[in-house]
Formats: sequence, structure tokens, C-alpha cells
Amino acid sequence: MPYDLARLDRRARWLITCLLGTFGLAYLFGGWMVALYAGFTPQRVARTYAGPSLVAAPETTMVMEHTMPMSAFDAGDTVEVHLVDTKLLVQDTHVHVPMYGVIAALLSVVVLGLGLSPRWGFGFITLLFSAPWLDFAGMWLTKFASPRFAVLTVAGGFAMGLGYTIVAVLAVRRMWLMPLERTDR
Amino acid sequence: MNKLVLGVVLALLHITPTVVLVKREDAVRTILPAATGFTAREVRLSGADAHRLHEALDWGPDDGRLTFYTGRRGAATVGSLTFVRVDTPHGPLEVAVGFGTNGAVLRVEVTKATVETKAWVLEAVRSGVLDRYAGVKGGPGADVTAAPKGPALPGGAATYRGKVGQMAAYMLEQIDKGVLRAVVSWGWFYRAG
Repeated sequence: MPYDLARLDRRARWLITCLLGTFGLAYLFGGWMVALYAGFTPQRVARTYAGPSLVAAPETTMVMEHTMPMSAFDAGDTVEVHLVDTKLLVQDTHVHVPMYGVIAALLSVVVLGLGLSPRWGFGFITLLFSAPWLDFAGMWLTKFASPRFAVLTVAGGFAMGLGYTIVAVLAVRRMWLMPLERTDR
Repeated sequence: MNKLVLGVVLALLHITPTVVLVKREDAVRTILPAATGFTAREVRLSGADAHRLHEALDWGPDDGRLTFYTGRRGAATVGSLTFVRVDTPHGPLEVAVGFGTNGAVLRVEVTKATVETKAWVLEAVRSGVLDRYAGVKGGPGADVTAAPKGPALPGGAATYRGKVGQMAAYMLEQIDKGVLRAVVSWGWFYRAG
């Protein structure tokens, strides 16, 4: 075992606890925003990344006219899902992937101190890093292959949430709740 | 636990909620106050037309359709307008651009922004920039070479440098992008249609 969270200096354990708490706070507010403005289904993800389904363009430009009442303009006020086009997805990938890597790395360092078997350690570290890969693979495949791949993005998100939750619970338990002999108390 | 997972999903969706700054109905009343009836003209672009629009503006409507609204009072046409969406890294922006019967821009309204961009957009609008679009002419027909290459705003957005904050200036450029799209597509597919 590279190190043991339970035997760390109290200040180091407090630092890790604050880090995990800060991640959790960010996730809580994210959840609030989702509850207010968005859904959680692959269909909604597909709308965000794939955009509206395209109908084959006609041979010549076609024009249709119809009368409409003033009240019909209200339909356009419907709050829209943020459409992520290719340029924006390039930028999102560039900006988010490094940050996801840093978060996965920090959580992996915590995993190393959990006292797990090498097999479980490999498993958790793989989960932490594969979740963002799954997430962004889903976005790109949704845009360029099929909207059905939106399920990968949703799965990636849940995998990331699952990974964080497991690591946070095990770390807090290891650092503060396990009855170990400590000399630094 | 559930909230944590929901939060992660949000982070992955990168959603920036849209906010309505001016209801479309209110924008229509402001731009074409004399109109009592409306006709929607839906233009479904051919592949060739969609391509030349994309070549000119690096843009095309999401679903290949442009919609223009003609305002009438009795049998007389009083003007027309269209709504154009601009996708920015901070979320979508929507402008309503109205045209007089002479083909000149009557008025521009910003109808939608996002939670993130609202303050910047409002600062840009308060600068009075929208008033300066009045009189800008639409493209003269279906000639692709006649499409304006520069900004729709007379003098360009650079004239506002230093007068508004950096992000407001950025949103001002996005507004201008929307107006330019409206002006060009109106000239090509409404007046020439």
C-alpha cells in the first residue's frame, strides 16, 4: 500500500476532507440546476449534442406561407436546450477533459490510501478515469454516429457520480471513523 | 446520493439555461406596431442554397428552414421580421430583426440570452447599439457576391470598444452576427423569394 489515509497527519486528512466536500458541494448545486432547467434522459442529451433531426434538403428551395395569429409568437418563447455544435464541442472537450483528468487523479490518489487490495485499487482508478472518457465518447458519437450513443454520456455521468460517492464514503470512513491507533491525535 | 449523481450529469451536459429577455410577441409589437395580422413564410432551403448561405456566413439554420413573418394592416404590408439564433460558448442568443417595406432594418431586439450572458447582453443593449441598426439595408437579391462580408453594424463593433465591458463587447459582436445573418437571409430568401 503506497500510504494509508488513516495514518496521515490530521491536517492532511482535513485537507482531503475539505477537497471531497468541495467536490460534493459543486455536485449538489449542479443537481439543483438540473432539477430547475434540464432532464436526465438520453433523449435530452441527444437533443443537446445531435441537434434537431435533419430532413433531406429539397432539390429546390421551397416556400410555404400561412397566416398566423399574434399569440402564435408565444410558442417561440419556449426555453430551449443549449445546442452544442461541433466547434463548441471541440472547445468543451479541450476545456473539460483536462479538468476531469485532474479530478480523477486527485480521487485516485485518495484511492491509493484506502487500504484496498490491488485489484480493487485498479478497478476504482479505472472507473474514475473511464467515466469522463465514456462521457465525451458519448458526446462525439451522438453528434457524428447516432443519437443512440447519448446513453454513453448518461452512463459516463452516473459512473463519475458513483466513483466520487464511493471514494468519498470510503475515505471519510478510513480517515475519521476507523478505530486505529494514532500517535498524531 | 441522487443529487450528487444529478450534479454530475449536469456537469456533463454543460447546460446554460436560456432566459427570455423580451417575449417574442412583445418584440413583434415593438418592431411592427402597425401590424394587425401576420403571415409566416417558411423557406426550406435546397442543398445548394444552404451551401451558399454557409459559404457566405459560416452559418445555416439548424433544421434547414428560415422563417420570416410579414406584418399586415388590412391588405397593406407594413413590414417583416425574422428571429435568428446565435450559438455562443456561453449559450444561445436570439435577435429579432425587423425590416421595412423598403428593405431597410426597422429595429432590432434581443429576445433571448442565457443565465450566464444576461448581464453582458443587457449592458450591450443599454449602450444603445440596437438603435444604430435602423436603416441598414438587406442584401440586394440573390447574388452571393453581394453578401456583406463585414459587420452589419455601421462602423463595426469596434466603435464600442472602451464604452462597454469586455464581455458586453463580445456579446455585441454576437448580436451583430445575428443581425448580419438576418439581413443576408432576408435579402436572399425573403425579398428575392
